[in-house]
Amino acid sequence: MREKLEQLKCCAMAAIAAASSVDALQDIRISLLGRKGELTSLMKGLGSLDPAERPVVGQLVNSVRDEIEAALGSALESAQNNFIATRIQAERIDTSLPGRRAQKGTKHPVSLVIEEICSIFAGLGFAVAEGPEIEHDWYNFEALNFPPEHPARDMQDTFFVENNLLLRTHTSPVQIRTMLKQKPPVRIIAPGTVYRCDSDATHSPMFHQIEGLMVDSRVTFGDLKGVLTVFTNQLFGQKTGVRLRPSYFPFTEPSAEVDIACVICGSKGCRICKNSGWLEILGAGMVDPEVYRHVQYDAENISGFAFGMGIERIAMLKYGISDMRLLFENDVRFLRQF
Amino acid sequence: MIVTYNWLKEFVDFDANPDELAALLTMLGLEVESMVKLGDGLDDVVVALVEEKRQHPNADKLSLCRVNNGKEVFDVVCGAQNFQQGDTVVMAQIGATLPGDLKIKRSKIRGEESCGMLCSEKELGLAEESAGIMVLSPGIAPLGTPVFTALGLKDTIFEIGLTPNRSDCLSLIGIARDIAAKLDLKIRYPHATLVEGTENTDSIIGVTIKDPELCPRYAARHISGCNIAPSPEWLVKRLAAIGIRSINNVVDVTNLVMMELGQPLHAFDCERLSGNRIVVRAAADGETFITLDNQARILTASDLVICDADRPVALAGVMGGLNSEIENSTTSILLESAFFKPAAIRKTAKRLSLHTESSHRFERGIDINGVVRALDRAASLIVVLAGGVLAKGAIDQYPGRCERTPIVFRPEKANELIGINLERDVILDILTRLECQVSHHDDGTTGVLPPSYRIDIEREIDLIEEIARLNGYDKIPATMPVARVASDRPTRHQEIEKQVRNLLVNCGLTEIINFSFTSPGAAGKLLLNEDDPRRSAIKLANPLVDEQSVMKTTLLPGLLETMARNINFRSLDLKLFEIRRVYLPVKGDDMPREPLCIVGAVTGSRDGDVWNRHNEPVDFFDVKGIVESVLDFLDIGGISWATDSADSYYHPGKSCRILAGLDCIGSLGELHPTVQKNFEIEKSVFCFELDFEKLVKLSRTKKAIVAPSRFPDSSRDIAILIPEELAALKIIDCIKGVKSKEVEQVQIFDVYRGKGVPDGFKSIAVRVRYRSIERTLTEEEIVSLHKEIIANLVDKLRVTLR
Repeated sequence: MREKLEQLKCCAMAAIAAASSVDALQDIRISLLGRKGELTSLMKGLGSLDPAERPVVGQLVNSVRDEIEAALGSALESAQNNFIATRIQAERIDTSLPGRRAQKGTKHPVSLVIEEICSIFAGLGFAVAEGPEIEHDWYNFEALNFPPEHPARDMQDTFFVENNLLLRTHTSPVQIRTMLKQKPPVRIIAPGTVYRCDSDATHSPMFHQIEGLMVDSRVTFGDLKGVLTVFTNQLFGQKTGVRLRPSYFPFTEPSAEVDIACVICGSKGCRICKNSGWLEILGAGMVDPEVYRHVQYDAENISGFAFGMGIERIAMLKYGISDMRLLFENDVRFLRQF
Repeated sequence: MIVTYNWLKEFVDFDANPDELAALLTMLGLEVESMVKLGDGLDDVVVALVEEKRQHPNADKLSLCRVNNGKEVFDVVCGAQNFQQGDTVVMAQIGATLPGDLKIKRSKIRGEESCGMLCSEKELGLAEESAGIMVLSPGIAPLGTPVFTALGLKDTIFEIGLTPNRSDCLSLIGIARDIAAKLDLKIRYPHATLVEGTENTDSIIGVTIKDPELCPRYAARHISGCNIAPSPEWLVKRLAAIGIRSINNVVDVTNLVMMELGQPLHAFDCERLSGNRIVVRAAADGETFITLDNQARILTASDLVICDADRPVALAGVMGGLNSEIENSTTSILLESAFFKPAAIRKTAKRLSLHTESSHRFERGIDINGVVRALDRAASLIVVLAGGVLAKGAIDQYPGRCERTPIVFRPEKANELIGINLERDVILDILTRLECQVSHHDDGTTGVLPPSYRIDIEREIDLIEEIARLNGYDKIPATMPVARVASDRPTRHQEIEKQVRNLLVNCGLTEIINFSFTSPGAAGKLLLNEDDPRRSAIKLANPLVDEQSVMKTTLLPGLLETMARNINFRSLDLKLFEIRRVYLPVKGDDMPREPLCIVGAVTGSRDGDVWNRHNEPVDFFDVKGIVESVLDFLDIGGISWATDSADSYYHPGKSCRILAGLDCIGSLGELHPTVQKNFEIEKSVFCFELDFEKLVKLSRTKKAIVAPSRFPDSSRDIAILIPEELAALKIIDCIKGVKSKEVEQVQIFDVYRGKGVPDGFKSIAVRVRYRSIERTLTEEEIVSLHKEIIANLVDKLRVTLR
């Protein structure tokens, strides 16, 4: 019995040492320690031994089993580690290969700028208003104090449609439509498409503007300056310098052109700002009393300001686009960059 | 308006240097658009003397000179032949940079040292061409003086972008007045010393104004025995500086005075006027007249003409006539200075497309009180330059005299509107500096009478603007308005537009923006029926080009053109969309409708040709998936897909209309092969169109949310054979039609044609997932439910189970 045990142990140890896979080790375990395993059958044979010998042999069997199990355990662990290591080695990938992306499209830069500007003004309590693009002369010109035959109409080359209709030359008619619909306080922003009969590298026959209008009691020119300063700082950066200088629009008085410190050269002077250090980005002013007369507001007791800006111009400055035509060529190689 | 620094200084004595002046003008609303400093950076180009000139030892055509700049003598190699030893010349010294970025450096030319360059007029930017170096008159200036200073050419030219209201600044004096007002300086008017003869002007010629409405004032003077000749150099140079070509001494004077004072003048050859008379009248309809550019003009009754006894001799305020212009032989001149009604001049100039310096000023409005001053200034200059005798007295017909009334002005209103706090005296002082007359009335009000040249100042608000402008916009504190709170959410329409744009971008589509106008042929390319309403587009009366002459009734052609253009640039996999308005005429209404539309199109490969995806082409179900996403997002129910009669531009077998109930809200499908060819696109295109307005109307804002079941599910598959023409969706509808609470999901997971499936049939595999919200379903319950569903399918749709 003793010899048998010793021999079994020897064989088992050799087999465990020789086995390289988890499966082989599991087979060894079954062949030795399973229900019909060699060691198990030996243990079953203990009963036929002399009772005096039993405890000694029993102890020996137990110690052999313990040794085999320990050897199996550690061999199994190392085989498992080996197995994982091999798997890891085999499964290596080239992580530099491109990932499987969810495809994402892009918004047109004009839409992006409109959304950004509207959200800045939404924060200041301005609602979005809209109006028709095919417009009556009255809303586009007359009510905005452009009398017929007035030279200021030359500032806006107009596309005409029959029935005294035209393609609006600016978003300003939305001011009139809004004021005719509601009484002060008015606080609106009106993005939209506008048209001028002009086409070259810096002019497009169709482009976009955003109009702003605020009318309330006691709104001042200083307030216009404050609101536009907040706006330009949010759009172009906190420290962007803003300059208002006198100008003329028939529907505002006093009127101003609003310049920002050149964002391209940092006001040092460059080709874009024509060496002036300033970039003109919008026109503004206090709403002219003539306009109030057309919408039956009492100019004596209310005041307000209006402003308007070209979206394409702002998009070009914001994204450093040099040719306006790029915005309407819809080349996806351009659009996908936004 | 072009002005020069030196010229302005003759009218007002300011200290500002050119840069400061530019900033000052811009902040006064007279925007300096460009500024050219003549001779700037050319201080190293100086007057010098050629002390010695000898032949270059190694080059026949070059000479070696010793040139003195007053301090030092330099060796200079020169290639010009037109000068001699002892001549005063122009030397660019080492370190100078000539126009065209030519830097002067010490150099060796054919072995000889050259320490400078002798310059030609061309090299200094003073002439287009020159035949050698510039030789100056001896002693013109001390040696070493910068040449632009020596020649009196050092000046700065400003180009000012004038706003249409500032007609008073279409002259040097006007701009000088604003400078004077801002800096509180005195203005100097150009002088006119009149030496008159004995004969009275009105005994030589008579003036009759027949239309005082259009010509409220007409003044004239007569000069006899003058001599038409080229203008002196100072006059030629002065006009050249602001871009006016010299003609002769008389015409140049009229131009000079127009630039000085803003009053257009006209000089007639008096001997060519018949009957010693000037008649100002409206033209007869159809009357023809040859203007001095030798163009025959057909006039209308709204034009104003200046006539002699027989015929028109000038188109008033616009252009003179060929029949009476000043010629070299002219000896007797009638000089006209008048005021014409702005609207009339504008109308004539516009109709004839004849825009002149004169019409530009008249149509914006000139100073009616300055008519005689300009006339006298020009007459005195002509006598000085062309000689002759000035007849005594000016003719001044002024039937349209009207007095302006003072404007009631409240200084506190100015403070209130601008948001400043100036003393009353300061405010009134600004107005006084602007040559306004301020009067204080007994009732405590203040009246302000603006000067006659400021025709733009008519109301209190105009005066308030002047206060803001002169005091300086930069001095107005920036404040935030005090406002009443309002609830201003974006409208549903705006919100949904933004959401749909976001959704489409997240579906992988790129947004495009095309012009709103298109070519009249666009509808034809889509094979639209002759009576399709989209063929009746709104036409522009004055399009720039035919391709942009009608307003779009559909966005599809533009989208397809964009697609074709991108494909030409080898961007082959495209997913594009546009959300824009279309313009639809409305019967019985002037104003068209401008509904917002959504179009999208995809072509090429679905995921692109990348290493870890199959390079599969897009198909119908890609666009359908996009549309389903949109409809699902907006929670629009009751959708069905009608395969009959989708639009003509779709592939009839691969397209459908989208119905919400009975309402068609859009369409989608593959582009018809012919249309695809019309737009020159090679690969299949799948597109969709959605009526945005209907989407907004149908979208549901309140979603019914159901808590998920906590019990296990069980799925059963059904494989059935159905005829090709039976829509697969019917099967789903039929299963859902059983209306069991326990049917959680029904999904088609395979569609198969081929081996084992007879021709004209397709095999559909459907998975039904059962689950109860209340408890775990038993096997028996599921089996029984599944049997019921299958029985219903067989019964209702007559399908065959596989």
